[in-house]
Amino acid sequence: MKNATKRKTQPAATFEEEYRSGLSEYALRGGEAALGRAYALGRRAISEKMSLIELASLHHQALHRMLADARGALRNRELLTAGCDFLAETLSPYEMAHRGVQDAIAALRQLNETLEEEIKRIAYAVHDEAGQLLVAVHLALADLARELPEHQKAEVGRIEKLLNQVEKQLRRYSHELRPTVLDDLGWVPAIRLLAEGVSKRANLRIQVKTTIAGRLAGPLEIALYRIVQEALTNAARHAKASQVRIQIERKNRLLCCTIEDDGVGFDAREVQSDGKRRGLGLIGMQERLSAIGGTLSIKSAPGRGTKLLIQLATENSNANSHRAR
Amino acid sequence: MVINSDQDIVTARQRGRALAIEVGFSTGDATLIATAISELARNIVSYARKGEISLKQVHASSRQGILIVASDDGPGIRDIRQAMRDGFSTSGSLGLGLPGVRRLMDEFEIASEPGRGTTVKVKKWKQ
Repeated sequence: MKNATKRKTQPAATFEEEYRSGLSEYALRGGEAALGRAYALGRRAISEKMSLIELASLHHQALHRMLADARGALRNRELLTAGCDFLAETLSPYEMAHRGVQDAIAALRQLNETLEEEIKRIAYAVHDEAGQLLVAVHLALADLARELPEHQKAEVGRIEKLLNQVEKQLRRYSHELRPTVLDDLGWVPAIRLLAEGVSKRANLRIQVKTTIAGRLAGPLEIALYRIVQEALTNAARHAKASQVRIQIERKNRLLCCTIEDDGVGFDAREVQSDGKRRGLGLIGMQERLSAIGGTLSIKSAPGRGTKLLIQLATENSNANSHRAR
Repeated sequence: MVINSDQDIVTARQRGRALAIEVGFSTGDATLIATAISELARNIVSYARKGEISLKQVHASSRQGILIVASDDGPGIRDIRQAMRDGFSTSGSLGLGLPGVRRLMDEFEIASEPGRGTTVKVKKWKQ
């Protein structure tokens, strides 16, 4: 740990020196070469993972020192103007990176919507269209059976049984992709059904307690459903939990959904920063929520289970007056 | 102008910034234009060693803008998609390099063939 800190501060110190020397070169002589240095420093700061706040404070300190040392060679106002130009130049690579991240977020949200539509379409095709084809096969088989001698009818019966299994399986796939109940009855019944399915499959006791009824806007329902789905997957797959409690309630305008398991737990900060599948899963939940204006708080510790609290402000009857304002 | 050294890059930045101000861009936009020039020059120096950057004022109906063309006779980009892909690997951040230039400017065109060099044309219009 000590070494890691040392390695991290070492280049930062030289960065600071470089920054100070570039800034003073620009303040004294001006020129594009010094601004070119500022741009290169900005790029270097990014690759050294320096935050904007760190950079700003480093700039402030450098400028402060120069102001103290200036002794009339430079007027304060000139120094401040030069400092401003130099900092802007250092920030320009951050501007590029910032625009890149903005584009990426917008693209991800768009992609998510497209995927959700695509999933809906596939789920429908698997359920309804494939289902209709199976009905046609059943009818054709029945026709065939009528013309067959008695001893071969048993054979057809076996095929029909297999077809029934196919149908059941298809319905399950379709349901797992996107339950029709989510669109037809809303996210709470969909979560109940999901809990039932996971409970059977993963041998997990899942309790769903809720006092709320009623629907939310489509994108909100989908996001909440997907988050609870991810949470249950985590509880079953990683947490090795034996029990999960889901509680959904409304506190004034706030919709609160708690998902609590008695599994192995984890160090929330460590998992979120390791960039692996599980950390990404949590970040994914958080991002999904922030896309719809909700928040997620994660409480967990090794050996002490995991508690997720999802909060989302929604309009209810009290809030309508607010909206009308 | 020829891009072959750090000094050439400084000259290109300086001319680009001066032209941007002349066209009427704000100092902030001029900074972004200088940054785009640096990124393009950086690309030339690291992949082709030398090349050229030309700068021109452009008009379209009532708009004023700036055109930057960066070209080289280097090995060319074998995989343009790779070059245009946002990555963390070399720069430590998403959004630097050619994708970054695309976002700083309003129009972006790239042509490259293996063995025949690379040409990147970018335009930025005054708002």
